[in-house]
Amino acid sequence: MMPVEVTLLLSAALIVTIIAALFSRSMSITVIMLFYASLVLGIIFTLYQGVLVGLLHIITFAGAMSVILLTAVLMTGESDLNIGNRSLAAVLSAVTILVVAASSYSLFSGAPTSTMPSPDSTMELLSFVWTYRPWDLLILIIIFAGAMISLVNLFSKKER
Amino acid sequence: MSMLTDQTILTTTATVLIFLGLVVMFYSRNLLKTIISFQVIVFGANLALFSSGLGGASNLMANTLVLFSIIVGGSVEAIGLALIVLIHKEYGTLDPWKIRRLKH
Repeated sequence: MMPVEVTLLLSAALIVTIIAALFSRSMSITVIMLFYASLVLGIIFTLYQGVLVGLLHIITFAGAMSVILLTAVLMTGESDLNIGNRSLAAVLSAVTILVVAASSYSLFSGAPTSTMPSPDSTMELLSFVWTYRPWDLLILIIIFAGAMISLVNLFSKKER
Repeated sequence: MSMLTDQTILTTTATVLIFLGLVVMFYSRNLLKTIISFQVIVFGANLALFSSGLGGASNLMANTLVLFSIIVGGSVEAIGLALIVLIHKEYGTLDPWKIRRLKH
């Protein structure tokens, strides 16, 4: 079990990043803060034994959705996407580098990683979905394929 | 402090996220902000589903529902963003009130 303080800290970080994303006037700050919020939520899922869920969440929202959102912002021209405050960008970059360095150190230096769940939980979840929820999986694949086909069709629509 | 459990904290956070998203969705004058607030609501729903499975012996069902919610939320958001790009091409603005006026 994780200490309550860690949960409180992560929840506070999630709420602060979401508030900064929703109430900021600049669209670039919004996109950056939403990216950080997706990362924090993925970390929360991962810490509470939801490795697969956390990984999928980070891949989908911090990866794919951030890129699509950035593309939409660029295509609509709603913001000049100027970072503006260079010191803020420098602080964010430094924090990111520190987090990556610390996590790499704890992963590769042989330090105890007590929060690392066993790989059994991931396989257990996959086998549970495959065994007990196959129809949901099929519906999910149909929804995802339909969304992707619609997306491609919408973007490839010719001018009348 | 003894009343504070992980499940309570995560459920409260999920509620805050859902209401923040709803408020911004209702008062936003930009369709991009609307989609972003929809994403925040999806975050809150995922967190609520996930925290509902924390107390029990097995949280496989909660994890499965979160898994499906992530895919459906991502698909809906992608289509919404594509529609926003088309709307901007057609009307030249992302303000829903102006779009409604231009439609007639």
